[in-house]
Amino acid sequence: MITQLLSSIAQGVGLTLYVTAASLVIGGLIGLVLVGAARSPVAIIRGIATLYINIVRVIPPITWLFLIYFGLPQFALKLTTIQAAIIGFSIIASAFMAEIYRSGLLSIPDGQREAAHALGLSAVTTVGHIITPQAFRVALPAIATYGIGLLKDSALASTIGVREITYYAQQSAKQTHEGLLSFVVAGVLYIAISLVVALIARRVDLTLRRKIGVA
Amino acid sequence: MGLSFGTKAPPTALSGEVVVSGLGKSYGAARVLSDVNLSMNEGEVVSIIGPSGAGKSTFLRCLNYLEIPTEGEISIGGAHVVAGGKLPDKASLDHLRRVTGMVFQSFNLFPHLTVMENITLPQRKVLGSSKEQAEEVANKLLKQVGLPDKAKAYPARLSGGQQQRIAIARALALSPKVMLFDEPTSALDPEIGLEVLAVMRDLADEGMTMLVVTHEMHFARDVSNRIMVMGNGGVLEIGPSEQVMSEPQNERTRQFLKAVLDR
Repeated sequence: MITQLLSSIAQGVGLTLYVTAASLVIGGLIGLVLVGAARSPVAIIRGIATLYINIVRVIPPITWLFLIYFGLPQFALKLTTIQAAIIGFSIIASAFMAEIYRSGLLSIPDGQREAAHALGLSAVTTVGHIITPQAFRVALPAIATYGIGLLKDSALASTIGVREITYYAQQSAKQTHEGLLSFVVAGVLYIAISLVVALIARRVDLTLRRKIGVA
Repeated sequence: MGLSFGTKAPPTALSGEVVVSGLGKSYGAARVLSDVNLSMNEGEVVSIIGPSGAGKSTFLRCLNYLEIPTEGEISIGGAHVVAGGKLPDKASLDHLRRVTGMVFQSFNLFPHLTVMENITLPQRKVLGSSKEQAEEVANKLLKQVGLPDKAKAYPARLSGGQQQRIAIARALALSPKVMLFDEPTSALDPEIGLEVLAVMRDLADEGMTMLVVTHEMHFARDVSNRIMVMGNGGVLEIGPSEQVMSEPQNERTRQFLKAVLDR
């Protein structure tokens, strides 16, 4: 029974990973733009970025999904369920990632920028070679934690019909009447994926820490 | 209040490797630096001493625009900037930073780069040196500061004194004309500070033009040609080291020296 359930629910692993990873990458890139905009010398750009980050974060993920999946077609924008889920989660991830980057940037002592300036390094070199690598190192644990959070949130995509883990668990529960076991299997799959992500992140973090020392 | 930035030679009567005239800085109504004048010849070493809050570091940091002066003029090694309360044009700023090297109290090495990368990255980005050229320069400088075997180490693995010597090497790698030292030994215990002072002494002997904010009175007296005493945002007095130490003219200088020498 369990192997049957497992093999049917595990069909959702691919889409769970796909939606999570795609949203994290797209959201992570938009987040970079946002954190740049939030530090812009132009007040209006700063204002818009800050407003975006704050509004996005207070709307629940499921509301975002419905807004996009049921709302956008009214503007003749027809989306597949997977597209809608990725767009929704990318928007949410972008705001959270921007905040994570921001805390990473704040953790870098002024002396690093001053040294770069005194050496005459250009702004591009300073950001690219001095600030970003250090900020990333500081932000890495938070990014991993957020990635795992996003993995769990991706279960919400089942509500608009994305065939990920929770979707298949619901189907199995209906068909086999093994509700408890179906969702236990789903839970175990989430735990397994989270563990792998956490282990990789920890490994990278330790390697960087060993090299660079404590911070 | 006209702003004129340029890299042309300054139209001042003073001449020298470093010419600072009428340098001042205010934050609104608060005046942190006023009317600082200094002229230095090539190869000269000037120590800046004085109580904390005197504006010593602010003055030094104005010279490469880590702080923005609001008035006065700066000429260093052919770079010339007229202060106007904002950053000068990019060419002048780059020029000014190109001819100055700075060493900080807190070292400020880049912790994610090895010692070698700390010294080669600026050379490659600022001077356009090849990897091989940059490493050759770095190895020579590492030998000069007495740390030839630390090229592959990360800064966190080094003692404070070693980090500061690497920071000196990093600044020297860009062949600055003037070195600015901002309390280079204040974060080090006295014994460790000596190894940094030894490197600075060698540098002075080789003819480097140096401006050193310091609390090391022995260094100020023995190594520098002149001592500039600052207090309350201005220059209290400036003169040959021996004279300032033994016969200070200014009452506030006398007080300060008594406090630091009688301990």
